[in-house]
Amino acid sequence: MLQYINVSIDGAVIRAVKGSSVLDTAIEYGICIPHLCHVPYLSDIGACRLCIVEHVDNGRSQTTTSCTLNVQEGMVILTNTDKIRKLRRNLAELLVAQAPNSRAIQDIALRCGVKEVRYPFRNENCVLCGRCVRVCTEVWKARAIGFVGRGKDRHVGHPFGVRPQFCKKCGSCIQLCPMTITPCEGPMKKGKEHLCSQCESQLMIADQTPGNCVWCKLGEGFACGRYA
Amino acid sequence: MYRLNSIRELEHLRRQLVEERKTFVTTVMTCGGTGCQASRSRALITAIRNELIQQGLDGKVRLRATGCHGFCEQGPIVVIEPSNIFYCHVAPDDAFEIVSQTVARGKVIERLLYTDPVTGEKVHTESQIPFYQRQDRQVLSLNRLVDPCSIEDYIAAGGYLALAGVLDRVAPEEIVREIKASGLRGRGGGGFPTGRKWTECREAAGDEKYVICNADEGDPGAYMDRCVLEGNPHLVFEGMMIGAWAVGARKGYVYVRNEYPLAVEHSRIAVQQMCELGLLGNNILGTSFSFDIDIARGGGAFVCGESTALMASLEGKVGEPRPKDVHTVVDGLYHKPTVLNNVETWANVPAIIRNGSAWFASKGTKGSKGTKILALTGRIKNTGLVEVAMGTPIRTVVFDIGGGAVNGNAIKSVQIGGPSGGCLPVTKFDLPVDFDVLREVGSMVGSGGMVVMDEESCMVDVAKYFLGFLQDESCGKCLPCRLGIDRMLEIITDITEGRGTLKQLDLLEELAETVAETALCGLGKTAPNPVLSTLRHFRSEYEAHINGKKCPAGVCKALITYSIDADKCNGCGVCLRGCVHEAITGKKKETHNIDARRCQKCGICRSECKFDAIRVA
Repeated sequence: MLQYINVSIDGAVIRAVKGSSVLDTAIEYGICIPHLCHVPYLSDIGACRLCIVEHVDNGRSQTTTSCTLNVQEGMVILTNTDKIRKLRRNLAELLVAQAPNSRAIQDIALRCGVKEVRYPFRNENCVLCGRCVRVCTEVWKARAIGFVGRGKDRHVGHPFGVRPQFCKKCGSCIQLCPMTITPCEGPMKKGKEHLCSQCESQLMIADQTPGNCVWCKLGEGFACGRYA
Repeated sequence: MYRLNSIRELEHLRRQLVEERKTFVTTVMTCGGTGCQASRSRALITAIRNELIQQGLDGKVRLRATGCHGFCEQGPIVVIEPSNIFYCHVAPDDAFEIVSQTVARGKVIERLLYTDPVTGEKVHTESQIPFYQRQDRQVLSLNRLVDPCSIEDYIAAGGYLALAGVLDRVAPEEIVREIKASGLRGRGGGGFPTGRKWTECREAAGDEKYVICNADEGDPGAYMDRCVLEGNPHLVFEGMMIGAWAVGARKGYVYVRNEYPLAVEHSRIAVQQMCELGLLGNNILGTSFSFDIDIARGGGAFVCGESTALMASLEGKVGEPRPKDVHTVVDGLYHKPTVLNNVETWANVPAIIRNGSAWFASKGTKGSKGTKILALTGRIKNTGLVEVAMGTPIRTVVFDIGGGAVNGNAIKSVQIGGPSGGCLPVTKFDLPVDFDVLREVGSMVGSGGMVVMDEESCMVDVAKYFLGFLQDESCGKCLPCRLGIDRMLEIITDITEGRGTLKQLDLLEELAETVAETALCGLGKTAPNPVLSTLRHFRSEYEAHINGKKCPAGVCKALITYSIDADKCNGCGVCLRGCVHEAITGKKKETHNIDARRCQKCGICRSECKFDAIRVA
């Protein structure tokens, strides 16, 4: 039988399932916390750090990712403070500067309030969110892809760089990849990258919705509370 | 060696060993630490041994290859008991003289003695050297008395008595309370109260628990853990065993870098000897306590010094940190409650148990108790390992113990705590070495690395160096650490190459704060410290790089030009011959010239010139 406990998220007292994460609970109750590497049926690694929240404990506030934080009785969580919004915006800015060629990433950037990108664009093909690696490892138990290398050299690859026989080309990795959704106007060429999500239809929603939610396609894929 | 079956047998063995040692009047102690080995101390030890045999003294004189004595600048070091004569910079060729003069006749060899740089006088014993006088050596004090490869030495020096004492009559809860009362805090960098860690682990559910010794020290310029582990492994292991008894663990791991071959070798020998004596295994000393130690070698990843990454690595997985929303004292190695402490923390434990928590708490400040080993390196006269009581001002460490800057330059800053620490300017040198005080000013005690920098060091370049180090060592798992450090390095590189803007400086600061707040593990959270602390204390240098396109210290190559001072140059031609880029022209006995287009700013001419005629601006 499910056990329930009470937690406070942004001032609302919420009955949460014991053992679930703060992020899952918040999404279930329609409180939008932007996230990228979290997929409902996969384990959480806390890699993208977009889902950071403030966890207030004994008057001390600690910034931590909500996907890896499990609910506890009487917990106080703040998801939308000035501090969190600023940190999240900076993270999304780093992300979109690294990989502008994805509508998912562009939407996240807009949703987190990025108005300008202060770094040179890089146009990478992968943001190392690890969704593909985890679905291959955890759901299909195939381990046909994994992280290779450390730091700057980290990338996703096959074991020893060769596609193994046990990869059945199931396509789960592609399905979960945020980089497969191209921006509306098609892929951006090198040197022509820009912050999109500036078109009027999106800006209109962004300005009117608290927390700059743009009802992004990615949110739909995440089972974001606004689509429930 | 026989197996010890009871505590009384250990005491008997100790008395026996002490008696045996009394028959030797003279002992020659030679430093066999890594630093001295680099200066041929191994050949020196062999030479002294051969010399003792040849002169027929091998039965009367003990030769002991010890661990690090700390004064690495002066190595190899030889100390001769009973008169405690201290010789430095000893070469293997000196062995004959040392044995025939000092050992056989008690005559002091003047030329091998240490010269006090201030008074210029020759100093006979260790205790008269200023470098040692200002220190409070507790953990390191045994290093010179013990051969790391001999468990007999350690037992004769009173080793394993603390363990025997607690196994005999102290309840585990009592040990935890004692450690808590002592105020010992983690020496690895975080400064987390050790007593609290032990309490939480002891109270955590589960029968299977682990203790881990973190010897994966990788900070540039820090080597105190290496010296403790290779100089006195038994001290560390005794601490681990006391900890294991206190929290209820039966298995311990020592995670040591493979780049420390001597530490690995000595730990393995130590474990072997402990097994033979029955100090490891089942029913140690006839009590109900059973314990085992495994030596695990790290592959040289800096991030594996982080507790969760270290545990992942021990489990055979990729050494990457994981979120610590549940602490490792509850969910650690193999998801079991685990106490992980640094080498130096473990090494402090036996003394606390032996002398009591009040003794330990009497040293240090309100928040930080005991002593701390610091690795003093950089542009300073006396490099080496320094152990001082917590609360000692930085000024004392740098000037009184360290002897000030080399070449008489003015000291500009000291970088404390490795890549995660921060740079402090001279104006902050009156601050004490204290966990809380240093954190407030944007630095940290960290593992205790102290890199001293003089006026020839550019603080922007220093920040760039540490960012480069951290970028190489970041595991790349979380976004702020991987991309944040990369972008910070990009901005700083722009600044050092003259492309920086003041706007970028604000961005740098904002980015640094974001990374510090949001990164997954301790490495990422502290990675911006070099940037934040230099921005805080040396902002003018950043501004000089941006506004004036000048590097005040003359380090950043894109912003400096080399020229020859016509007044000082006498045309000797040394620089001309030294220049590999053929950028210098000039006739003999006439002022030379540097062709700016060809000059690669390598600085060879400057170091070659004996008249200080090469100017950098």
